[in-house]
Amino acid sequence: MTTDTPTKTPAARGRGVRQGPVDAALGLAGLAGFLALVEVVPRTGLVSPDYLPPTSRIAGALADELADPAFWTALGDTLTGWSVGLLIATVLGVAAGTVISGVPYLRRATASTVEFLRPIPSVALIPLAVLLYGTDLRSTLLLVVYAAFWQILVQVLYGAQDVDPVPDETARSYGLSARARIRHVVWPTALPYVMTGVRLAASVALILAVTAELVIGSPGLGARIAVAQTSQAVPEMYALVVVTGLLGLVVNVGARAVERRALAWHQSVRGEVAV
Amino acid sequence: MRRLLVGFTAALLVSTTAACGSSDPSTSSKGGKAAVKVGVIPIVDVAPVYLGKEKGFYSKRGIDLTLVGAQGGAAIVPGVVSGQFQFGFSNVTSLMIAADKNVPVKAVANGVASTGKDGGDFAGIVVKGNSPLKTAKDLEGRKVAVNTLKNIGDTSVRESVRKAGGDPSKVGFVELPFDQMPAALDGGQVDAAWVVEPALATVKGKGGRVIASNFVDLAPDLTVALYFTSQQYAQKNPELVKKFQEATRESLAYADSHPDEVRKVLTTYTKIPESTLQAMTLPKWPAEPNRASLDTLGRLGERDGLLSGTPDLDALLP
Repeated sequence: MTTDTPTKTPAARGRGVRQGPVDAALGLAGLAGFLALVEVVPRTGLVSPDYLPPTSRIAGALADELADPAFWTALGDTLTGWSVGLLIATVLGVAAGTVISGVPYLRRATASTVEFLRPIPSVALIPLAVLLYGTDLRSTLLLVVYAAFWQILVQVLYGAQDVDPVPDETARSYGLSARARIRHVVWPTALPYVMTGVRLAASVALILAVTAELVIGSPGLGARIAVAQTSQAVPEMYALVVVTGLLGLVVNVGARAVERRALAWHQSVRGEVAV
Repeated sequence: MRRLLVGFTAALLVSTTAACGSSDPSTSSKGGKAAVKVGVIPIVDVAPVYLGKEKGFYSKRGIDLTLVGAQGGAAIVPGVVSGQFQFGFSNVTSLMIAADKNVPVKAVANGVASTGKDGGDFAGIVVKGNSPLKTAKDLEGRKVAVNTLKNIGDTSVRESVRKAGGDPSKVGFVELPFDQMPAALDGGQVDAAWVVEPALATVKGKGGRVIASNFVDLAPDLTVALYFTSQQYAQKNPELVKKFQEATRESLAYADSHPDEVRKVLTTYTKIPESTLQAMTLPKWPAEPNRASLDTLGRLGERDGLLSGTPDLDALLP
């Protein structure tokens, strides 16, 4: 994204080295505690193991899943829906946001429409998706793009609003070209917002991809969860749920890593302790 | 700056549209065979078409069959009407409701039928093992779970209550997916549940009891579901519809006489655990819908207010 090489202050670098493994260890401990809880609760009879199998049984079902080629196909379908949807939403969101914030009339004309459309839950569009695209990937995409688009659009709008008028005017009076002003004034201000938008959208896109598959039956992990549910295959269902959870974790960690790289020069990252 | 932005945006839009357009629509024929998509719910009821596909009943008639698993009729009826699927599987009450609302659906082949055996059907009203409820009459003032309100479930449960001498208007219904019913019953959230296989086998396996077979109470050998298409498609492709009918009829007959193969094909598209698979009561797959049972179902649908009038079965049925 940027041509600058990440330069950390010695203090930040020192913290990163010492803090990283500690945080990772704490994160793993938290996860291990949760897994232990799921192992114990059904065994004590607090919850019937028929409906919440202990961790060990879920792990067994997960191993079976990993050995099934159909599982990998489903995972691929979900990742395709997620990534393509996120890409389309990002491109559309950044484009629309740039255009809207560049034209003051447009900004005022669309403000209430954006606020009206944004809270509409994507799942409410399921009948429309089915009508247009049946149960294939495009139905998933419609839902994913709708949900992720607003996350990015709104962040781009905020970012563009946040451009400091003083450097902007200064750049103008020094006769910087439009390209140079975007590069040196607008871009550095808006980019952190855009990255936040993309990071939020990445998680939302994953949730909507799985939801679409679950509810509509478009191919992917969600559809596989639904089949396991209707088949009364409880451990398999939880195994698949665990996979979607892990996927969410990976997406979040990945999005944060991308954000940190892209914004290595920015105050918010330079001052940030390792996550 | 503005000109730059406009150019930038236009480029992005073009690239996005290109990306969207790259997913080409399914071709109408492949290797001389007609590509046919059927929207099905991945449950026991549709095992015959999976089996028929495996046995080549469709391909030998020039049909390249693709079975698309959808989550329930909510996705199938609009999918068929909008042409996403050429055929679909749906329960008969949903089809009658659709026809009643002038949705252009046309049944083409039988889907699935009740076994007609009281206490030995693939669907039933179940209670927990220690429940005080003994018959459908005891459901008065109780909470009963059905998968969809205002459909075949509550209509048939009401008929069971009526037959047992109770007042169906005193029964409270709640909507729950079939797969959640065993847990809801165990947890006491509902007093009884109308379940189908494999949830029925799950409940029985935990000591639950069947207090009434609602499909059997409704009509002898009730036709529960049908394969259907849209009226436009039926008019445009009479030959193909005929071939699909023949292939489906052959599949139904084959499934009915080969229960072991049915249980085996179920493992290919469901995840029903082996123990449940063997314990399950399979439905019946007669070649033709039972007209008399559908007349009864239509009448009850009208009585319960699901339908605005007596359904025109001549127009709906093949």
